Amino acid sequence: MSKKKQEASQAQAYTGKVYDFCSKKTMILVIAICVVVALIAGALIRGVKFAIEFKGGTLLTYSYTGDLDTDAVDAEVEKLVDSNVNVRRGESLDSDGYQITISFTSKEGLNADGQHELTENLRAAFPDNELELFDSNDVSPSSGREFLLKCLLAMVFAAILIIIYIAIRFSRIGGWSAGICSIFALCHDILAALAVSIICGFEFNSNIVAVILTILGYSINNTIVIYDRIRENRTLMPKASLNELINTGCSQSLTRSIRTSVTTIGTMLVVTIVVLISGYNSLLSFSVPLMAGLISGTYSSLFVAPVTWSWWKGSKKAPKKDKKNDK
Amino acid sequence: MTVKKTGRSTFFIVVALIALFAVSTVTGLDYIYGDNTTTVIKGVDDIRLGIDIKGGVDVTFAPAGDYDATDAQLDAATEVIKTRLATLGINDNELYSDGKSDRIIVRFPWQAGESNFDPEAAVKELGEMAELTFRKGDEYDTDAEGNITPTGDIVINGSDIDSAGYTQQPDASGNYEWVVTLKLNTDGTSKFGSATSELAGTSTPISIWMDSTMISAPTVNNAITNGNAVITGNFTSESAKKLADQINSGALPFKIETKSFKTISPTMGEGSLDAILLAAVIAFALIAIYMIVLYRVPGLVAVIAICGQIAGSLAAVTGWFGFQPGATLTIPGIAGIILAVGMGVDANIITGERIKEELRSGKSTDAAIRVAYKRAFSAILDGNITNVIIAIILMGAFGVPSSFFSKILNRTIFFMFGATAEGVVYSFGFTLLVGVICNFIFGVFASRLMVTSLAKWSDKKALYGGDGK
Repeated sequence: MSKKKQEASQAQAYTGKVYDFCSKKTMILVIAICVVVALIAGALIRGVKFAIEFKGGTLLTYSYTGDLDTDAVDAEVEKLVDSNVNVRRGESLDSDGYQITISFTSKEGLNADGQHELTENLRAAFPDNELELFDSNDVSPSSGREFLLKCLLAMVFAAILIIIYIAIRFSRIGGWSAGICSIFALCHDILAALAVSIICGFEFNSNIVAVILTILGYSINNTIVIYDRIRENRTLMPKASLNELINTGCSQSLTRSIRTSVTTIGTMLVVTIVVLISGYNSLLSFSVPLMAGLISGTYSSLFVAPVTWSWWKGSKKAPKKDKKNDK
Repeated sequence: MTVKKTGRSTFFIVVALIALFAVSTVTGLDYIYGDNTTTVIKGVDDIRLGIDIKGGVDVTFAPAGDYDATDAQLDAATEVIKTRLATLGINDNELYSDGKSDRIIVRFPWQAGESNFDPEAAVKELGEMAELTFRKGDEYDTDAEGNITPTGDIVINGSDIDSAGYTQQPDASGNYEWVVTLKLNTDGTSKFGSATSELAGTSTPISIWMDSTMISAPTVNNAITNGNAVITGNFTSESAKKLADQINSGALPFKIETKSFKTISPTMGEGSLDAILLAAVIAFALIAIYMIVLYRVPGLVAVIAICGQIAGSLAAVTGWFGFQPGATLTIPGIAGIILAVGMGVDANIITGERIKEELRSGKSTDAAIRVAYKRAFSAILDGNITNVIIAIILMGAFGVPSSFFSKILNRTIFFMFGATAEGVVYSFGFTLLVGVICNFIFGVFASRLMVTSLAKWSDKKALYGGDGK
């Protein structure tokens, strides 16, 4: 026990430079607004593309050889499907053949019977092109909506449990507000990832679900590491104000934050480069938004979460104390 | 906390154990006795890859229209589909049913190079109702959309049939033709017997229907009371076999349609797996160099611990630990491993930074290591526990209906949703959960043992990231 106290007193002497994180409120607000504006502008200019996992619909890809007239394919498909059909030509990754992608949204979705019939019809109409089904995805609109809603509910539920967990574990430093502020930081990171995803023109598919889930884990972890330092400093520096605790905690964690981010962001950079070289671009909509979320996560765990929290706590105590921290 | 008895040799023991674990996870363990290979431990080659990697079919069936199936009917339908999968030769499949949302989920791989396999036709066959009926007369109604409904009184249906087979027999002109033979059960024999004696000699035929398709409508010459019936109708050997198989696997108790249907070609997935693996190897090498340069001895230990953590995640996927059966590895599952490894690297960085800090404050190497691991633990614990929360929610929300977390969550918080068994998201939760547990075992416990042990060999502060000396 005496040893513990001795160690505590030694650790108290934090001699490194303490940066004033809490004074950066304006910057934090401006960056948050920028992220939201980028998201909205991107959505307005480029549009938000939901993959059929979410909106329901049908996407069929066939490989073929020789020449194929996309308009003729379009006409053939529209015989069977009474909605707008989109036909796109693409190059095949694995062979010197080509691919054609047919997509459309129908009210009921195309069931297996319909899809079988469609393939048979196309093979009959274009016998020289050796059409082979490459991949297909057919989701009825109701299942698509349900999947989206379930994802959202899972995230909201996770957020609530995380707030409760933080509230309990960090009750010594005012847990509830800390928990809610960690969710602010999380939303900031998710919005940043979504904004980049929209601006790059990726469609929202199951990759974006994986991205958001990963960010959920990293962002909360980052914030908690900082909170942990603040909690520890509360014991070590009993007389310090909350802002001093936050500034010290963030400064102490700065090296760790940067170094961890180098490894995580670096990993995603490697993935992005490998994917670009190998041509499997379907993974880009995973690695690029995730990188944006990780960059945002490093920043938001140091600034957004602790500073909004200090703001929250400060404004509550403001009538009693003089506002020495307001700029 | 008392000082554990960590000696000089501890490091080598821990490294040896991790190496043994990692090697046995990767290579597996099997012995060959005669022609039989017995697998004791499954290796990396035995990992079941998800259909997003190796290609395959993922289809969700539900009752057509607003039909509300009972649990017993759904179970019966699932059994029928199971038999049909076996009949089609699709033995490597996953089949789930969920009574709450009346869904049946089927997944099976589409083997590379299997170009004569038509996934669309297979799914169509799985979802056919396949209700065989023998009816008096051959009348039927046609509605406005051209759908045919037979109207004759049902003589017998699929449940009156004991077994079906197919064979060749001579027709009226002496040519051999393919026919489907039926062996009726006792109930069916008496019903069929009384109907044939009633119709024998009349011009009213007995029509044979598969769903809404009439196969044939023979007239009856003599009463058939021995319980054997034959279906003729221009069969080839394949179509006769198919009909016999359909009759044997039974009819679905209700009409079903596909809610979602996904096929992924094998070439697409394998390419992206290769890309991910290449990226993972490069990233691992870079992180290893980075950690060792920054943190010296603790950095080296971190790299060993991360190897152990990756091996642990793979072991859970292969089913190395006897208590769980292994899982399917998908691309988001790999993302879960990467996230957990990232958390493991972070745990080591947090500790490494702490050791540096404590050394800077003037502690001895031994004390610095001890204090650093203790102090760093609360941050690692809280960060990882929140990830456990996330992982469990994902496994519950998107797991297969019979799994533990799914049972709890789907009855409470997700009560208004059916089980989706979105295997992709579940897989992420699974590898994340396992990775986080491994992080505690390797990233915290094993790495502390190793660093403490190495400090017994040399406690030069420079080796642990201290400033000089």
